[in-house]
Amino acid sequence: MKRISIAIVEPSPIILEGVAAIVSHNPNLRVAGAVATVAELQTLLRNTEVDLLIAAVCLAREIESVAELQSLPIVGMQSAIVEASILRRFAAVATLYTPEEELHRMVIEAADMPAEHNYAESHELSDRERDVLVLVARGLTNKEIASELNISPHTVISHRKNIVHKTGIRSVAGLTVYAVLNKFIDSERL
Amino acid sequence: MTKANNVMGSVALSPEMKIYELIDAAPILLSLFSRLNIHLPFGDISIDEMCRRDGYNTKLFIMLCAMHIDAHYRPAQEEMTEDMLPEVIAYLRASHRYYAERMLPHTARHLEEVLSHCDELSERVLRRFYEDYAHYIKSHFEEEEREIFTLMERGGERDANFSLFDMPHADIDDRSNDIASLIVKSLPESAPTALRCDMLHDVYELRDDLRRHSNIETYLLRPLVEMYLKRR
Repeated sequence: MKRISIAIVEPSPIILEGVAAIVSHNPNLRVAGAVATVAELQTLLRNTEVDLLIAAVCLAREIESVAELQSLPIVGMQSAIVEASILRRFAAVATLYTPEEELHRMVIEAADMPAEHNYAESHELSDRERDVLVLVARGLTNKEIASELNISPHTVISHRKNIVHKTGIRSVAGLTVYAVLNKFIDSERL
Repeated sequence: MTKANNVMGSVALSPEMKIYELIDAAPILLSLFSRLNIHLPFGDISIDEMCRRDGYNTKLFIMLCAMHIDAHYRPAQEEMTEDMLPEVIAYLRASHRYYAERMLPHTARHLEEVLSHCDELSERVLRRFYEDYAHYIKSHFEEEEREIFTLMERGGERDANFSLFDMPHADIDDRSNDIASLIVKSLPESAPTALRCDMLHDVYELRDDLRRHSNIETYLLRPLVEMYLKRR
């Protein structure tokens, strides 16, 4: 696996140092630079190749205004309550209490996502996600759902992740109730 | 203790702290008193005096308070002593009873009030979901009591398998969140907001309380059991 090159931008020196240290504990991740401001970040990016950015959520507006940052996946570091729309640009959002392994997982998954994948995009399920949800509610496995909808199991997993993210519901039992309450399925068909 | 360092999040707990100061700083601890069956009124006594009066280990009581107040607090292993184990088990058993006899039925009553305003199908699926959730929690408690508590009380003739419980703890947390999401997002509009909020308040309180409970098992019970088994 190619090491993921990461730039960190965070005004708090304590958080900046902490995130850099945690990132460097994972052999698949590499800290390409750790800076306090978006201006410093722009300088860094001119000389260094970066796959992903970890950025303080409070810098979201500034980051949105910089064209060269638009193609990078970004993991947010949230240290205060913010307005939800701010989170739109982030592939994932970590907090001061996110465990180390969780942060590593977030970064590795985000590096794989296209930059347009948004953390807080529409919470409406797409038609395909709705199809997958109904089959999950009917108790089908990922493999069975893939075969029923003629898609790959990997795509089913990706739809399921989106469903969990959009509905806020993780358990199969909870998703089933969600499908019934939203009339995607009638209880007789369960 | 000044009022300034008496604010939630920066409570300085000490054996000399008065019980009324403790409760004033962190009213969340009232449920701990209720669980431990500690008798009111407290008058002007300190934490240490109350613990001596009621036969609790002061250091352990302070650890339990800290774990209730701050979800990220982890007690230091070097502060733990083996004699705390029976008291922690007694606390956890009392806590299991508190969930089974008070919190779960209380939440169920609020759910029933909400459901009485819903259509028959919503009523049926949500009630079933909650009943399964409550049953899952109670079965998990029974299993813990059988596999760990009773085993330790009998002298620990075999190793306690804590990893058995990592998955149920995560499952319970997921299901607690699921109930909240369903009530917030998908419950029919016919359910009045005030009743819905009462129910949500219960669900979040239960979820957070179960998280604290799980932390106490992971970061206090587990090291104490390991300490005990190592010496055996």
